[in-house]
Amino acid sequence: MDLKLKFKKEVKNLKDYIVLVRVSSGDYKKTNIEILKLLVNEQKTPGIYVTLNKPFEVMQRQLKQNKVDPKFVIFIDAFTDVAENKKRVKNCLYIGSPEKLSDISIAMDQAVKSLPTKEKFIIFDSINTLQVFNKPGTVMRFVHFLSTKIREWKVKGIIILIKSSADEPLANELVQFCDSKIDVGGE
Amino acid sequence: MVSITILSVTTVIFGIGALILASRARNRLSPGSLRKYIDNFSVCLAFIVIFTMWLTIRSVTNVEVSFAGFSGYPEFIFLVFAYIGFMIASYRVSKISEEFGFKEDGKEIANLIKKKK
Repeated sequence: MDLKLKFKKEVKNLKDYIVLVRVSSGDYKKTNIEILKLLVNEQKTPGIYVTLNKPFEVMQRQLKQNKVDPKFVIFIDAFTDVAENKKRVKNCLYIGSPEKLSDISIAMDQAVKSLPTKEKFIIFDSINTLQVFNKPGTVMRFVHFLSTKIREWKVKGIIILIKSSADEPLANELVQFCDSKIDVGGE
Repeated sequence: MVSITILSVTTVIFGIGALILASRARNRLSPGSLRKYIDNFSVCLAFIVIFTMWLTIRSVTNVEVSFAGFSGYPEFIFLVFAYIGFMIASYRVSKISEEFGFKEDGKEIANLIKKKK
């Protein structure tokens, strides 16, 4: 089934939700763009994109290529390590490392509160990367924090998880906090 | 005299309590801007606590200490350090607000949405 249809079927008329998108590495890039197309172009919703896997510049380029206006999205880039004086550019904050969970949390909170619209989204891409840089217990606590905050902010939350057998415990834990789960692509 | 001593000791206890709380907060945070700010703040607090401790001990024991040419009230050097620390901490807060402040981005998004409508 088409991702858009799957998405619409899962969230239906929910104003705010948390969806876990389990995606195979092959479909990863396409899926992210499709989700952003749906939210920004179709639903006209601005939002926040937390990227742990790709630099802001690459994301921006890919969005432009796919006719998604990146100006509607505030990026929090925890992938690129930049100099201290270049941490802030228009529409993006460079955190420096996925290890800096406190900074990611503050940035998300401030970015969500700065958006003036009632409807907004937050995409967390991807939760697997956190496990590479942080202890499993810390990641679990962060996942709990993230889901609580998404509920509190009343936003559309999309958590991306790249399919791998090693991340099954994390996926099982995440499902508990999410309203629905969408599977894209095979293993 | 007794009441001043009690007041001074109580102030020192509050200061040490504040340092313990700041240290606990620091330990819960992952590396980053906020943790650096807490480090700055703790150093300032430590200088003020040392200053107050010095005053307390002096008022209780009546011992005069002078070093590096600071006779009379050498403890004031700690207050000077504390204020320098506060200046650095305030600078760090202004940097944090530059980094984490998304107000302008939010306004631009709002304008874009208005234009599209």
